Amino acid sequence: MTPQIVEISFWQLLLGLTFILIAQAVSFVHHLGLNRDITIGTVRTFLQLFLMGYALTFIFGARNLWFTLGIFVVMAVSASFIVRGRVKEKEVPYILPTFLTMFVSYFVTAVFVSGLIVGVSPWWEPRYFLPLGGMVIGNSMSALAIALERLFREMRQQRDLIETRLCLGANYREASAEIFRNAISAGMIPSINAMMGVGLVFIPGMMAGQILAGADPLQAIRYQIIIMLMLVGSTAITSIVTMLIVRKRCFGSGEELRLTP
Amino acid sequence: MTPPLLQIEHLGFSHAPGMSPLFEDVDLSVEKGDFILIRGASGTGKSTLLRLVCRLAPYTRGRIFFKGEPLEKIPPVELRSMVTYVAQIPSMASGSVRHNLLFPFSFAVNRARKEPSERTLLEMLELFFLKDVGLEREASTLSIGQQQRLALMRAILLEPEMLLLDEPTSALDAESASMVLRIVERLNREEHRTVVMVTHSAYLPEGERSRTYLLENAKLRLL
Repeated sequence: MTPQIVEISFWQLLLGLTFILIAQAVSFVHHLGLNRDITIGTVRTFLQLFLMGYALTFIFGARNLWFTLGIFVVMAVSASFIVRGRVKEKEVPYILPTFLTMFVSYFVTAVFVSGLIVGVSPWWEPRYFLPLGGMVIGNSMSALAIALERLFREMRQQRDLIETRLCLGANYREASAEIFRNAISAGMIPSINAMMGVGLVFIPGMMAGQILAGADPLQAIRYQIIIMLMLVGSTAITSIVTMLIVRKRCFGSGEELRLTP
Repeated sequence: MTPPLLQIEHLGFSHAPGMSPLFEDVDLSVEKGDFILIRGASGTGKSTLLRLVCRLAPYTRGRIFFKGEPLEKIPPVELRSMVTYVAQIPSMASGSVRHNLLFPFSFAVNRARKEPSERTLLEMLELFFLKDVGLEREASTLSIGQQQRLALMRAILLEPEMLLLDEPTSALDAESASMVLRIVERLNREEHRTVVMVTHSAYLPEGERSRTYLLENAKLRLL
């Protein structure tokens, strides 16, 4: 018999705030200056997740293709804005190619997993498509931000060496090959490390959620394996395509480096 | 009639639109085998002028031709395989002296060129007073003066048609500087290699193919 999920009442939720009180006390005693942030964070956690809960209840109930795709677009646009917030680059226009690559790659991955591997019908079934898409977007977004930040930083730091290579006959790809490789690796390492540690060091959030909700652990791990593979794949595709486009944009028509020190 | 190797017409450059020009209306014609020296105080735009010729920076006013072709019509990689710019501050890749001398031969455009032999490399090191350094030493551990000579060696090994040298002796003592200049003069005289060199020192090249210009008050004039 599948165990039923234990419901959490409003009062039990409030009891969870005990942990916040402890954190507040620690911040206060040790003058960490985090009390305001902890309060705002707590309020936002309650507010955002309750809103999300109601929104998902509505979306799952509506089961409308265009509505589901609309939500997906909003998620992808938000992710590209978050990347822009993390990567402070003004000389190279990288946002549009980043958004387009993110959108196409995430969409293909989510459709592939939802429609083909998990095999739900229809493929856009919001209960599967949106959480899967959300996980892909969230993870790849972080990888992309790390890779882009690293690319721009190293291009600037190694500007003289890149120009020396250009002067000695290198094309822009040859002149920046090492930096390109390093940047993509830096973005992908967290996903690869997660594959190494999963099940040994930590129980992933999605799997933990499924188990808490009463799912069979052997089913939960299958989902988790798919998720891990999907995340590494989508991160690799998004990083490589985005970086190929953005690297080209770092150079002008004369293959001169556009980034100034 | 064969066009000049390098032809610069009414060239102007500003760091940003609206800023006063670093230089303007610069004209220069360089024939194969010429030795051109451009003098001028620091900050007058001598290095920028060389960087524009090898397209390390875009120019907005005037025109530059190489062998009669507008610069923007020549694929950048092809241009830089014929015109090699050596920056004032040398830049070394991580790795040995040997690696730093040979890595340009791994670039697609240079693969058809014959990689220099061990003997050639050792002879070059001796010629540039770097025999004691050897080929296996980590290049980044060399002094700036030694790196400057290594950077010049690296460019010469590629045998470009034109060398653009940006203050090639700025970090050298008087003896090394004079030796490097003699090597460059010999390359020009015996191998007819075209040289455009910028400096703010008092050096004057010898020979009938040499001309000296002064870049001053945003204008280039023949001395």
